[in-house]
Amino acid sequence: MTTMDILRQLDAQVCPTIDAGMVVTDVPREEFARMGTTLVQEHGFRLMTLFATDDRVVAQGFGLRAVLVHDATHEQVMIRTLLPEQDPRYPALTTTVMAAHWYERYAMDMFGIVAEGHPDPRRLVHHENVPEGTWPLRKDFAWNTKMAHDDVPYPMHHVAGEGIYEIPVGPIHAGIIEPGHFRFNVAGERIITLEGKLFFAHKGVEKLLEGRTLLEALPYVERISGDMAVAHALAFSQAAEAIAGVAVPQRAAWLRALLLELERMTMHIHDLANIGGNGTGYTMLVAHGFRIKERLMQCAEAVFGNRFWRGYVVPGGVRADCSDTTIQEIAAIARGAAEEMGVLVGTGLQSDAFRERLETTGVLPRVTAIAYGAVGVGARASGLDIDARRDHSDSAYAILTPAIVTETAGDVYARFMVRVRELEVGAALIARIAREIPDGAHMVPCAPVHGFHVGVVESWRGEIATALIMRDGKIERCFPRDPSFCNWALFGELGPGNIVPDFPLCNKSLNLSYSGTDL
Amino acid sequence: MSSLLITVLQFLLVLGCAPFATGMVRWVKARMQGRAGASPLLPYYTLATLFRKEMVISPVTSWVFRVSPFVVLATALVVSAVLPLLSGGGMFAGNGDDFLFFAGILMLGSVFLVLGGLDPGSAFGGMGASREMTIATLIEPAVMVTLTAFAAASGTGSTSGMLAAGGGYLLAHPALLLSVLAFVFVLLAENARYPVDNPATHLELTMVHEAMVLEYSGPYLAMLEFASSIKLAVFAIFLGNLLVPQTLLPVGGGAESLVVAVLGMAAKLTIMMVLLALLESTIPKMRFYRMQEYSAMAFGIALAGLVLTILPNIV
Repeated sequence: MTTMDILRQLDAQVCPTIDAGMVVTDVPREEFARMGTTLVQEHGFRLMTLFATDDRVVAQGFGLRAVLVHDATHEQVMIRTLLPEQDPRYPALTTTVMAAHWYERYAMDMFGIVAEGHPDPRRLVHHENVPEGTWPLRKDFAWNTKMAHDDVPYPMHHVAGEGIYEIPVGPIHAGIIEPGHFRFNVAGERIITLEGKLFFAHKGVEKLLEGRTLLEALPYVERISGDMAVAHALAFSQAAEAIAGVAVPQRAAWLRALLLELERMTMHIHDLANIGGNGTGYTMLVAHGFRIKERLMQCAEAVFGNRFWRGYVVPGGVRADCSDTTIQEIAAIARGAAEEMGVLVGTGLQSDAFRERLETTGVLPRVTAIAYGAVGVGARASGLDIDARRDHSDSAYAILTPAIVTETAGDVYARFMVRVRELEVGAALIARIAREIPDGAHMVPCAPVHGFHVGVVESWRGEIATALIMRDGKIERCFPRDPSFCNWALFGELGPGNIVPDFPLCNKSLNLSYSGTDL
Repeated sequence: MSSLLITVLQFLLVLGCAPFATGMVRWVKARMQGRAGASPLLPYYTLATLFRKEMVISPVTSWVFRVSPFVVLATALVVSAVLPLLSGGGMFAGNGDDFLFFAGILMLGSVFLVLGGLDPGSAFGGMGASREMTIATLIEPAVMVTLTAFAAASGTGSTSGMLAAGGGYLLAHPALLLSVLAFVFVLLAENARYPVDNPATHLELTMVHEAMVLEYSGPYLAMLEFASSIKLAVFAIFLGNLLVPQTLLPVGGGAESLVVAVLGMAAKLTIMMVLLALLESTIPKMRFYRMQEYSAMAFGIALAGLVLTILPNIV
């Protein structure tokens, strides 16, 4: 049964169409949650992203779109509904599909639409100081609006009882990390509940992208999360190319894959060093790991002019060609870094005391990972076989066919080992790219005018899904969904049962982006 | 040289080289990690800076918060004067340098450090205080048993007398080597070093000692930091003296033996700090819930040392 048949069977009224490889169907708002639930629970789909649009000018209401994907068959379905301007309500999807919980809270905060029956209708983005009735992503909210200061309660989870101790941590930390507040309720050292309050880093990216051209928007997109510049630029570009109906030249696709793998290697090395070194206090790993990472960053600076591979991936291809000699040199540096890191990690893993810190710490059960819609390293370490490079790949990965690494234990050790093995896979991919990269153009013109698509990229953190709507050659709406957005809530599940001093280790093992979550 | 003069000299020397001990560990650790590292003399500048700085004191604190740095520093000063560090013939030798006094005064410092951590009511201070008390309670039996073994071997409860059971005596009575090992365990736990605590961490949630002093600033912080340095130096020199008591300044020794004693003390301190840095560079920190196993191991080793030492006398 095809997806079209499934949708028709669910509701005889709907007439699904296919748009750039994606099945699109409009449903009445009462049917939105039911349709999504059936696809997830009975047909093996996964919620990839869910976002709202302000369509009051053209359609007198707010649009709500859920993109669901089937990882085995690579199918993508978008369910779309329209909520009337005067009464923007709909039955919440979260009541049946847990993975929707943050998306729906996000839409409630940003658009003032109401997901009825949402089990946790508290604010998500807005803090206490934001007045009621502030909906920043509505089109009639200017980006430079100065808001009044308010004091709306933001109740956090609280456990009462004898011997229960509450520990507030952050948003300002002793280390140089992004801002986030964590609230622990503990009995002794044992964590009973753990809740994060994020969104201290709001930059208004979505608002700033609206009305801009692709090239004007690109610098913002690259800075959504500084350590994922390539991945975000690529997801954005892929969405634009799908709308424009352009196929990127093979050479450009391979060069993009090269950069994406370099970014993955750099950050995996960083994470291995950070988990192993800073997390457990095994200083040798961090001292040498960061040194090895630095080699890759200096390579980026030498070749692309900056340490983060910014400005190279553009809609339509890559900004400039890269000579084969340069690619060989990059591959040699990557190979050297992977080998040296392999020796370092091998040395580290021989320490029982080190493994003892990682094993059984911060266990994320497989069912929880599925329910929360976990992506990336966190999902694969819990046995979920998902990787957008294989499941929703562009042309280069269809040929490169990277090996997908999974572990089953779901603890910090499993997440550490997924990175160790992915590092080897990354180095092998880069070596192959250097050997087999096809000749040809590095860019084609890409000028999307009208349309919608989701660009999907497996970044080192996990799957990015950038939803892009173009109108008259300008960005009408862009929702770059960072993998961190899906994974943050996992801490509430993997933290409890651990002891407080092990939380930094759990935190580093997922290494999520605050900035990427808080657009 | 009079015993009073020896004690005063020892007191000044230990105080003078204590910040160097802390700086030395940091410098060697940095070298081990391939970094240039800050000068081992940096802690002197840090302390001088802190003493000049303004203090920020939370308005919810009581007099306990203000008294704690003085008590903690005082216990460290007393220990540095009383223990046989430069010489076994100071004015307190056999006259107040009992090992129970040593253990007790350390505990007094710990208790006030804990009270100072608890007083501001901050989450981290409370967390660090609870951990410090857990560690202190668990390691205390090992402290007592270790020192008792030396007391039994030397036939005296005074720490200066105990040194008679060190050096060559250790080789003749190898059971005491177990006690020396147990003393190393105690040293690491009492001074908040690896694998019990990580003195270099920025992760508030994992801190023990550092969590308790988080609310302190300026001169009070300097006093607490200085006290930690002194304590580390005292433990290291005392351990060195147990192993090599030969360099100690004898009663009535001349200028020559004074030079030997001072250089010996400096050498012991430096070597101990290098060894500590080596240890801290090669092992990860232990999970906090392994603390009881660590303490139990320390106690077991100490007990074995004690039993094997006194067994020949009983049987």
